[in-house]
Amino acid sequence: MILPRRLRLAIFLLTRSFASMLGIVLVTVILGLALLGPVIVPYPDHVAGGIDLANKLQSPSAAHWFGTDEVGHDILTRVIIGARLSLLVGIGITLAAAAIGVPLGILAGLVGGPVREAIMRLTDLFLSVPGLVLAIALVAALGPGIVNAMIALILVWWPGYVRLADSKALSIRAEPYIEAARVAGAPTFRILWRHVLPNSLSPLIVKMSMDVGQAILAVASLGFLGLGAKPPTPEWGAMISIARGYLPEWWWYAVYPGAFIYAAVLGFNLLGDGLRDILDPRSHRG
Amino acid sequence: MPQTTRRAVLLGGAALALAPTAGFTFERDGAKKVMVFSGNQAVPVLDPHMRYDWSTRMIQQSVYDGLLKYVGSPPQIVPWLAESYDTSPDGLTYTFHLAANAKFHDGSPVDAEAVRFSFERALKMNAGIAWMLKDFLKPEKIVAVDARTVRFTLEAAFSPFISYVPWWYIVNPALVKANEVDGDLGRKWMTENGAGSGPFKLRRFDGNALIHLDTAPGYWKGWPMGEEKRLGGVIYRIIRESAPRKAALQRREVDIITNITPDDIGQLERLPGVKIENHPGFTTFGIKFNTKEGPTADVNLRKAIAYAFDYDSLITIHNGAATLMTSPFPASMAGHIDVPNIPRKDLAKAREYLSRSAYPNGGIELEYVHVQGLEDPRRIGLALLDSLRALNISVNIVGQPWTTMVSRGSKPDTAPNMTSIYVTPVGTDPDTVAYQYHRESWGLYYGMSHYDNPEVWQMISTARAETDTARRMALYAEIQRRIVDDQPEIFGMVANRLWSMRDYVKGFAFSPVRFTGEVDLYPMWIEG
Amino acid sequence: MDRGLTLYLARRIGLAGLMLFGLICLTFVISNVAPSDPAALAAGPDAGRSQIEQARREYGLDKPLPEQFLRYVGDLAQGEFGRSIATGRSVGTDLLRYLPATLELCILAMLIGVLVGVPLGVLSAVLKDGPIDHVTRIFAVSGIAMPPFWFGLLLQLAFATGLGWLPTSGRLSVMTLPPDPITGLMLVDAVLRGQWDVFREGLSYIILPAIVLSFPCLASILRVNRGEMVETLRADYITAARAHGVTPWRMICVHALRNAMLPTLAIIGLRWGWMMSSTVLVETVFDWPGIGLYAVSSAIAGDFKPVMGVTLIVGLNFMIASLIVDLLYGVLDPRLREG
Repeated sequence: MILPRRLRLAIFLLTRSFASMLGIVLVTVILGLALLGPVIVPYPDHVAGGIDLANKLQSPSAAHWFGTDEVGHDILTRVIIGARLSLLVGIGITLAAAAIGVPLGILAGLVGGPVREAIMRLTDLFLSVPGLVLAIALVAALGPGIVNAMIALILVWWPGYVRLADSKALSIRAEPYIEAARVAGAPTFRILWRHVLPNSLSPLIVKMSMDVGQAILAVASLGFLGLGAKPPTPEWGAMISIARGYLPEWWWYAVYPGAFIYAAVLGFNLLGDGLRDILDPRSHRG
Repeated sequence: MPQTTRRAVLLGGAALALAPTAGFTFERDGAKKVMVFSGNQAVPVLDPHMRYDWSTRMIQQSVYDGLLKYVGSPPQIVPWLAESYDTSPDGLTYTFHLAANAKFHDGSPVDAEAVRFSFERALKMNAGIAWMLKDFLKPEKIVAVDARTVRFTLEAAFSPFISYVPWWYIVNPALVKANEVDGDLGRKWMTENGAGSGPFKLRRFDGNALIHLDTAPGYWKGWPMGEEKRLGGVIYRIIRESAPRKAALQRREVDIITNITPDDIGQLERLPGVKIENHPGFTTFGIKFNTKEGPTADVNLRKAIAYAFDYDSLITIHNGAATLMTSPFPASMAGHIDVPNIPRKDLAKAREYLSRSAYPNGGIELEYVHVQGLEDPRRIGLALLDSLRALNISVNIVGQPWTTMVSRGSKPDTAPNMTSIYVTPVGTDPDTVAYQYHRESWGLYYGMSHYDNPEVWQMISTARAETDTARRMALYAEIQRRIVDDQPEIFGMVANRLWSMRDYVKGFAFSPVRFTGEVDLYPMWIEG
Repeated sequence: MDRGLTLYLARRIGLAGLMLFGLICLTFVISNVAPSDPAALAAGPDAGRSQIEQARREYGLDKPLPEQFLRYVGDLAQGEFGRSIATGRSVGTDLLRYLPATLELCILAMLIGVLVGVPLGVLSAVLKDGPIDHVTRIFAVSGIAMPPFWFGLLLQLAFATGLGWLPTSGRLSVMTLPPDPITGLMLVDAVLRGQWDVFREGLSYIILPAIVLSFPCLASILRVNRGEMVETLRADYITAARAHGVTPWRMICVHALRNAMLPTLAIIGLRWGWMMSSTVLVETVFDWPGIGLYAVSSAIAGDFKPVMGVTLIVGLNFMIASLIVDLLYGVLDPRLREG
C-alpha cells in the first residue's frame, strides 16, 4: 500500500526538523489539555459560573498556579478550559470555511465560464478587505458572542479555500488523463472524486493546519476588542481584554492567556509549515 | 541566570512604586502652571445645546456659564450669571436679574438677549438638554424685559424648573450668528469652537485626544484662589485604558485622573505624593426587570431573584467604595427615605417567593444585558449568575452596545429580562428620579422595566406640580414605598466617585450632582 | 506601452472599481443588520421620544433602505462618508484627521520589516540548518503566531512601566504641540520644520507600536529572502565557484537580493494591505489616534458610519496595493497578462 509508506516518510521527515517537532509537541499539548481539561482542572466550578470574591486578584501560589482574576476565578482553570474552546472554535471555523469554499472552488474550476466568473468575483470581493476589519463590522452588527464571532470569521474565511480549490481544479482539468476520462464518458462526479479531490488534499491539509492557528488568533483578537465570547466563557482573548485593566500590578492575569494563544497558534503554524515542506514542496514561498 | 532577569523585568513592571518618578514636573505656560486632567472619555461635541455626558459637560462648564450653578455637597444652587431670581406665587413665572459685569470672552456683555437667544436655541435644536424643559417652556414665552432682566413664563407649574436651569449654558449670540451655515444655528461651528463667558477659553480642541483650555484673564467672576495662584490653563487628556492612565499619574505626566477601578485604590494610596478623593456618589445602579413580558412579568419571581441576590458582592466588587440603596432614590436626594424591608439576601424568602411563582423549581434561563465594555456591570452579572444558581435559574450575560440595549428596551416584547442600568439624576429634585417610574418614561432607557402602576403614576404627576414642600415630600415617601413593593428592579448600590491626584493639586470641590468623573475645574489650582 | 499591457491595466482597474462598489454594498448591508436604533444614539441618553424621532428624520433614518443606500452612495461620490450618529461629526473629516497617524505607523513598521527582515533572511540562509536558522524559523513563524495585542502589552510592561525608557501610549506628550502639518505625517513634518526635539519625542512614542505592527511583515520578508538566498547558493555557477575554493559572497548577495526583489515587493504590497487591518489591534493597545482606534471605539458604541468608512478606506488601500503589485508583475513578467 502506498499511503502508509508515504505517511511513514512524512513522519520521518517531520521528526527530523526541530521546528516541526516543536509544532507537534505544542499541538499535542493543546489537544491534550482540551481533551482532559474538565477532568484535570483544579476548580471546575470557576468555569460554570461560581465566583469567589474573597480571593480575587491573588498572585500565583501553590493553590492558584497562575493566580486568580477579578472575581476570584482560578486563572489556570480558565486557561485550560479556554484551550478546549479555542481549539473547537478554530477547527470549527476552518472546517466550515473549507466546507463552503472547496466545493465552490472545484465547481468554478471544473465548470468554468460565467459560473466561474461569478464565483471568483464574489471571492475577490471578500478577499479585497482584510478579514479582521470585515469581521469587526460583522460582529458589531450581529452582536458579540462566540457564535457570532464564528459566523463572522467563517464569512471572511471561505474565499481562501475557493481560490485554492479552483486553481487545483483548473490545473487538473488540463491534465491529459482527465480529458481521457471525460472522453471515455466518466461522469463529472466520478472525475471529481477520483482525481480532483485526492490531488487537492495535500495543499488543503497544509492550509487547514495553518488556518486553525490563524482562526484561534482571529477569535482571540475579536475577544480582545470586546467583540468575542461573553462572560463567563473562558476565552483567551476576552480574558486579556479584561486583564488589561489590571496591568501592571496583576500582570499574570494578562500574561498567561496570551502565552497560551501564542503557543497554540505557533504550534499549528509550525506544524503546517512542516507539512508543507513534505507534502507540497513546490509552493514554498511567501 | 536569564530566567531571573526576565522575571525581574516583569516584576519591576508590576511594582509601579519602583518605576522612575523623577524627570517630570508641572507643565507651565509662561509663569502660570497648567493642570493636566486625564479621563477615558472623548469630547466629540462641545456645543452645550447639542449633547452632554461627563467629559463633555466638564469642558462645557469650563467654557460657558449658566444663570445658576451647582456647587458643593450636598449640592446647592448658587447665583451665577443671574444675581437673583423671583418666582411668582402660582409657580408659572420666573424672573432672572443678571450680573452687571458678566462678559463673553470677546468682551461683549452677557445680556438678557443672550440668555433669551441661548434658551431659544437649545429648545429649537431639541437635542441634548432640551428634554428637561421643552414640555413646560416655549421659546416665545422667554422675554428680555430689559438688558439685565429676563422673564420665563411656563406652560404649567413645574417645581423642578430651577434644578435644571444650571445646565442651560449661555452662548454668545453674535458669534453664533456669525458662524451660522444654512440656518444650522451655528451647530457645525459650535462643535469645535467655544462662544462662552466661562472661566476658560478654548486653545486647542481635538476631542478624541486632547483639549487645551487657557484661563480667561480677568474672568468676570474673579478667581477663588486669587489672581496670584490661578492656573495658566487646563489640559484634558484622553487616555482610554486605566493602566496607562495610572502610570501617567505616577510619572507626573498628568496631575489628576478619574475612571479608576476600585481595585486601583489600594495601589494608588500607597504611592508617595498621590492622594485619593473618594466620595459617596449620586448615580444609582439597578437591574431593571422586564415587568411586562417573559418570566419576570411575575412579581413573585422578581421578588425571589431580589431575595436571592448577594448584595454584599456589590460592595466587595467595589472594594467597599459603594453603598447599598435603601430606596429607589439615592441617599443624598431630597425626599429620600430608608424603605423598610427592602430585599436583602435571604434564601428562605427567595425560595418561598419562587414556590409561589410560575417556576417553583426554577429551570429557566434569564438574559442579563449590560453595556458592552463596562467592567463593573459585567462583574455584577457574574455575581448575579452565581446567586441565582441557588434557585436553579441560569443567567445569560450579554454585553451590547448602548444603542442596541436602548432600542431593545424601548418595547416590552424586546426588552431583556434583566438590564443593568446606571442613572445619574441631572438635578437635585426628587422628580428627576421619580419620573423614571412614570408611564411617560416607557421606551426610554431608564423606563426599561415598563413599570405599570397607575396609582403611582398619578402620585408622581401630582407631586411634580405640588408647590407645598411638606406635602410634596410626603408624596415622594409613599412613592418610594410603593415602588419597592412592586420590585420593578433589583435596587442595587450607589458607587463612590473616585479621583486620584498629586498632592499639590488644590481646590478640588466635590459635588454629587455632577456626573461620575466630572469635576468643576474653576476652583482648582496647583500649589508649589 | 503595448496593447496587451493597456488592456490588462484597463481590465484590472475595471475589476477594482466593481469590487469597490461590491464593498460599499456589503458594508451597507452589514450596518443595517444590527438590531440597534441609531436614532437613540444620536439623540443622547436622556432624550425623550420626540427628540429621538427628530434625530431619525435629521439623519434620514426614517427613509426606506434603498433611498438611504442611494444617498450614501451619492455622499461617497462627493467624497463624503456621512455623519457619525454618535457625535454628529462628518466621518470624512474624522478620517482625514486619523488617517495620517495610521499611515505614519504603517510606513515606519514597513521600514522596520524590510530593514530587519532582508538581512535576517540572508543570514539564516547562509547558516542554513544551523541553530540560528532554527531560531529564525521559529521567530518567523512567531511573526504570524504572536497575538499582536499581547505582544504590545508585554512591550509596554517591559519598556514603559518596567524600565521607564519609553512612554506607554499616545502620539506625543500633552504639552508638545505637533508641528504644523505639511504632509500630515508628524515625524516627517517635524524634520521638515527642523523641530528635532519633537521628532525625537515622536519617535519614542511610535517605536513600540511600530515594532509590534512590523512583526508579521518582517517574518514574511525574512522567509522570502531566505528562500531566494538558499536557491542562489544552490545555483550551478556558485557551486562551481565553491568547488574552486572561492565563495563569491558579493555576487551571491547581489544575485539573491535581485531575485528576491520581486517577491519582496509582492509581500510588501500584500502585507501593506494587512497592516492596515492589524493596526486596529495595535492602535487599541497603544491608544494611537488612528483609524483603527476610531473604528473599534465606534463599533463598540454601535455607531456604524465610521466603521463603514474605515472598512472602505482599508479595502480601497488593499485594492490599490494589490493593483500595484499586479501591475508590477504585469510589467515585469509579460506571461501573466493573459490570465
